[in-house]
This record gives sequence, C-alpha cells and structure tokens, in this order.
Amino acid sequence: MSLIDYLPIAIMFGIAVGFAVASLVLSRLIGPKNPTPEKLEPYECGIVPLQDPVQRFPVKFYLVAMLFVIFDIEIVFLFAWAVRFHDLGWYGVGAVGVFTLLLIETLVYVWKRGALDWNIAHRRRRVVDRQLREAA
Amino acid sequence: MIVNQFLVLAALLFSIGIYGVLVRRNAVLVLLSIELMLTAVNINLVAFGQYLQDALVSGQVFALFVITVAAAEVGIGLAIVILIFRNRSSANVDELDLLKW
Amino acid sequence: MVFLSLSFWREAGGAMNVNYLSVAPELILTVAVVLLLMIDVQWKPGYRWWGIAAALGFAGAIAASVMQWVGHRGEDAAEYFRGMIATDGFSAFAGILIFPIAAMALMTAWPLVRSLGRRGAEFVVLVMIAAAGAHLMAAASNLVMLFIALEVFSISLYVLAGFTRARADADEAALKYFLLGALASAIFLYGIALVFAATGTTSITGIATFLGNELLFRPGILLAGIALLVVGLGFKVSAAPFHVWAPDVYQGAPGGVTGFLAASAKIAGFAAAARVLTVALDARIEDWAPAIGVIAAVSIVVGTLLAIAQTDLKRMLAYSSVAHAGFILTALVGGAAGVADMWFYVATYAVQVVAAFGVAAVVSGPQQGPAPLADYAGLSTRSPGLALALGLMMLAMGGIPLTAGFVGKAAVFSAALDADYLWLVVLALVAAVAGLFFYLRVVVLMYMQPAEGSGSVPVPLGARIVLVVAAVVTVLAGVVPWPLLRWLGEALPG
Repeated sequence: MSLIDYLPIAIMFGIAVGFAVASLVLSRLIGPKNPTPEKLEPYECGIVPLQDPVQRFPVKFYLVAMLFVIFDIEIVFLFAWAVRFHDLGWYGVGAVGVFTLLLIETLVYVWKRGALDWNIAHRRRRVVDRQLREAA
Repeated sequence: MIVNQFLVLAALLFSIGIYGVLVRRNAVLVLLSIELMLTAVNINLVAFGQYLQDALVSGQVFALFVITVAAAEVGIGLAIVILIFRNRSSANVDELDLLKW
Repeated sequence: MVFLSLSFWREAGGAMNVNYLSVAPELILTVAVVLLLMIDVQWKPGYRWWGIAAALGFAGAIAASVMQWVGHRGEDAAEYFRGMIATDGFSAFAGILIFPIAAMALMTAWPLVRSLGRRGAEFVVLVMIAAAGAHLMAAASNLVMLFIALEVFSISLYVLAGFTRARADADEAALKYFLLGALASAIFLYGIALVFAATGTTSITGIATFLGNELLFRPGILLAGIALLVVGLGFKVSAAPFHVWAPDVYQGAPGGVTGFLAASAKIAGFAAAARVLTVALDARIEDWAPAIGVIAAVSIVVGTLLAIAQTDLKRMLAYSSVAHAGFILTALVGGAAGVADMWFYVATYAVQVVAAFGVAAVVSGPQQGPAPLADYAGLSTRSPGLALALGLMMLAMGGIPLTAGFVGKAAVFSAALDADYLWLVVLALVAAVAGLFFYLRVVVLMYMQPAEGSGSVPVPLGARIVLVVAAVVTVLAGVVPWPLLRWLGEALPG
C-alpha cells in the first residue's frame, strides 16, 4: 500500500478539520454577543440546572458493572470453540459444558451472596437480619 | 507482510504504558497504563502470528487469553482501589505511606 | 478448568493425549472449591465445613501428586493435552511440596479465617485456587499455560493480601502488590511475545528444539525476550532489584497470608524459572547465566544489608526473603545441574518461612497485623514453645550447621562452584555470615531480654501442629539430608 492510497483519507481529514475551524471562527466573527448569566449556564435541554454537575455519583453500580465485564469477556472462549466446532466434536461440547457450568456456579454464588442486589438498603437490611438471626 | 510497523507500534504503546505506571499518581490511571501494556502485547502476538504464518494461529488464541486475564485483573484491581478509597477517600498512590514505600 | 477449554489448541498432527492424572491435583482442588462454595452459600454450615472441604481437597491433591511421583520420577517429561501440561518428577515434586505448604499456611491463618465471618469461605477458596495455580506453573509445558497459571496464582494472592479489609495497611499492601504484580505480568507477557516471535512457538520443548538446531544470526529479539522473562520472574520471586513490593506487602498482609505468599511464590516462581531457563533456553545458557549471577549477587547484598536495619519482624523476614531469592538463584547459574540443589533450598526455606510467619501471626493476635520486634522481647519466658520454634527457624535461615538451612546453602554453593562462579560464592559466603547478625538478634531478643508484656500467648491448635512439623522437618533435613537429596535427583525437569 503506497502513500498515495491514503490521499482520500487525508482529504477527508482536511475537510473535517477545516469545517470545524471555519464554523467556530465564523460564529465568533459575525455572531451577536450580549451575554446574560442564564446564557452562560451549561445547556441542559433548556431546563434550569438544579445542582452543580461536578459531584460524586454513587458507585453502587460498580459491582454489577465489574461482574458484567468479567462474565462478558468469558464469552471469547466460546468464540474460539465455535471456530473449530466440527473438529472438536463431542469432546469440545463436553469441555465447554464444564466451562459453562463453572460460570453458572460462579453466578449462583454471586447471586446468593447478594452482590446482584441493586437496592443497597435492601442488601444492608438482609445482612442485619442475618446477623440478628445468628445472634439469636 | 511487513511486521516492522506493528513491532514499532507495540513497542511505543508498551513504553507509553510503562511511562504511565511510573509517572501517574492516580491508581486508576496506573491501572489504565497497565492495560495499555497488555494491549501492546496483544498487537505483538497477533502480528507475529500472522507474520510467521502459524497454522495453529497460536498468536491470536494467546491474545484471547490475554484479553480475558486482563479483564479479571482489572476487576480485582478496581475492587482494591474502591476498598482503598472507602478507607481513606483518596485513590492517590503517593498518599499510601502507612508502610514505608 | 482452563485446561479443558484449552483443548481446541491443535498441534499440527499432534494427538490430543488426554490424561486426567496429569491435572488431577488441579481437578480435585477445583471440585473441592465448587462444593465448598455451593454448600456454604446454600446451607451455611460454617467454618468447620470449610476446614473439612479444604482438608479433603489438599489430601486428594497430595495423593494425586504422589501418584504422579511414583509413575514419573527420574523420567523424561510426558506431555499431555497437546503439549500444554508436562508431567515429570519435577512437577510431581512441586505438588508434593506446594500442597502441604498451603495446608500449613491455612492452619496458621485459621484464627483469622474464623474472625472473618461469612467471608472466611472465600479466604479458604482463594488459598486452594492459588495452590492449584502454583502447581500448574510447575507443570506448564507451554508459555501460554505458564502465563495463565501465573495469573491464577497471582490474582488469588492479590485478593488474599488485602482480605482483612478493616486494616488500612493491609489494603495498602494489596494495592501495592497488585500494581507492581500486574506490571511484572505485563513485562513477562511481552517477553513471551518476543520469544514467540524469535522461535515461532510457545511450547517449551519446541523452543528448546528450535534453539538447539537453528543458529540465529540476529538474536536481538530473542535476547530481549529472555531479559523480559527474567525480569518478570524476578518480580514474582522478589529478587533484587525487583523486590520493592516485598517489604510493604509482607508487613501489611496478615501473617498467615504472608507465610503462604512467601513460600508459594518462591516454589512456583523458581519452578517456572527452572523449567523456562534450563529446558526451553538451555542452548542459550551463556546469555542468561551471567545475568542470573548478577541478580543473585545484588539480591544477596541488598537483602542482607536492608534486613539488618529493620525493626519489624515481618519486614525483616521480607528482606531476608530477598536475600534467600539470591541464594536460590545461585544454584541456577550452572543450568540444569543445579536444579536439585535449588529444590532442596526452596523446599526447606518454604517450610521455615511458613513457620516463622506462623509465629508472627500468633504473636500479633487474630487480625495478624504488623509484628514490631519489641513484641518478641523475652518471649522465651512468656511462651517457651513459640520462642523455641521461632529461634530454630531463625538459626535455620541463618544457615547454622545441623539445620536444613546449612545443607541448603552448602548445596547451592557447590552448584555455583561447579559452574565456576567463584566470585558469587565468596560474596554469598560473606553475606551469609553478615546475615547471621539479624537472625541471631531475634534469638537474643527472645532469650536474653526481659519480657515486656505479661502472660503467655495462647497458641491455637493449627499453629501448634504447623510449628512442630516445621521444626521436625528442619532438623531432620539438616541432620540426615541424603534421602531428600537423592529423591531430588529424580525431580528434574525433562
């Protein structure tokens, strides 16, 4: 592949950059300017902002998100198996079956331990209930 | 197929990753830099696998394993970072000085 | 179960040769882990059940390793699962070593497990998975398998290091261990990729055949790959200058965990290093042996000097483990000829370090936090048994005659002398004498200083058994080492 083959991409790139720069410069040059405090607020679909957008948001979804990522990525093993599905025959089916069973086992464990409980207050209450039961 | 570009790209990515690990102060960014290093390895593996005309596609299959292991590693890493954050509301590597660093 | 899903990996024309005995320890431990977790989460039978499941799992794994040993000792490696798993005396001995060590570490950590509540089950499971990963590292016959085993082992240990969760120094230890461990894994992986590029295969025997037959005119990529592999493995066994994580992690992590971490990382790391260096890269010994010699020398010097300055027992043992990594590497400068000597040192050191951290875990209470040396003043009057056990381990680590430590040092020095590394042996001898200072300081502290605290330290049953076993092994291997040395001659990688 020689450099000349990249020419269309270079032209495309040039047009994109040129358009962006041109519209910014043009609006700065010919647009009317009379700023008011409301106009300087960040645009949120026309509604007056209720609070400062730079704040911490709860990380209660992080657990579910991480579990999702880990379970999601395991799928690539199935992909590799699918490519050689016919060669591997029943041995492959068995191996992937064991693999899937282990994944399901993990899911059951995670579920039973309450890690998939979206409602944290509910999760806490269950823990307290259990401690009370064990104390009794 | 010319393999040199891929080698250079991977070496650059790997170096950027090492730089990030050494320089960044936030544990999450250090984690990101390590991911960058693993990505560099993946590029290497796939490029070499193609270059060597490997009938077993070892390079590509190895890359799949690297991807899954990296995901597991990041899961653990983020969990540890959140643990640290809960205990001292900061994920800054510099502030971990209870033990002599 | 990775090894089952790996089966799609086809050697060109090679047979599948499934052999379940070759992975029996891992299979048994996996089944035990699954049963432990499922029964625990459903019926909540508590810590007694965890103990039973772990004991059954480890007993089965040891039995399987012994069967492998009986069938394969002293023979060339038999490769199974399309060259992924090698079964030989080497991998069998690694199993016979690692599983009892893991069980002993779990026994010293048992008070911590009981204090963890429901999460204790996960602690037990992680120790079992880490042990399986460590054995798989010794049995891996392909760099891909080695990498996966390394990660199974390391990721379990990252979690274990920060398991107590309430202590800020423990999660700090976990983060430092994780970040530097992940960095080391990435470097190791890059090394694998470069070796793959240079030789066209990731099979250990395949690399050996390639390097034995081909003359590389431009070996740059191969040499860079070897260097990165050595760096990655050096991190795992905490050899200097890749040791910076060790002191913090050893001090911050709970005592029972640290004992397991120190012992299993040495066993698995050196097993992997021995197989990669003396089998796969045997033809390149002129390239890597000098580097190993330098790393060994730096580790011995740095570990010994920094250990002298420490005021915390666990931190001192961390620097001492850096020095021990150097002593063990000394055996490898001669290539395959030193592997039996390496095994002797690794095996006896693993027993000593588990017992020493076991004492630290008992003395520092159920949370098993840091262990300032001041706590040990006059321990002999408060708890004579603990003081005797720790004193014996200190003497053995220092290399006093009639302990296993002395025979181990003699063995690795003779291996280095056979390889004409006189300078390294002289340096190591000087450092070993200097190292006696900080080991004897602990003994003096325990026996000749007045006790500060009052009352004896209660020793749990598990820790008591571990200390007795470790003391017997240490003395026995020091007085009559010949049977063990003869067996180890059959525990070489094929």
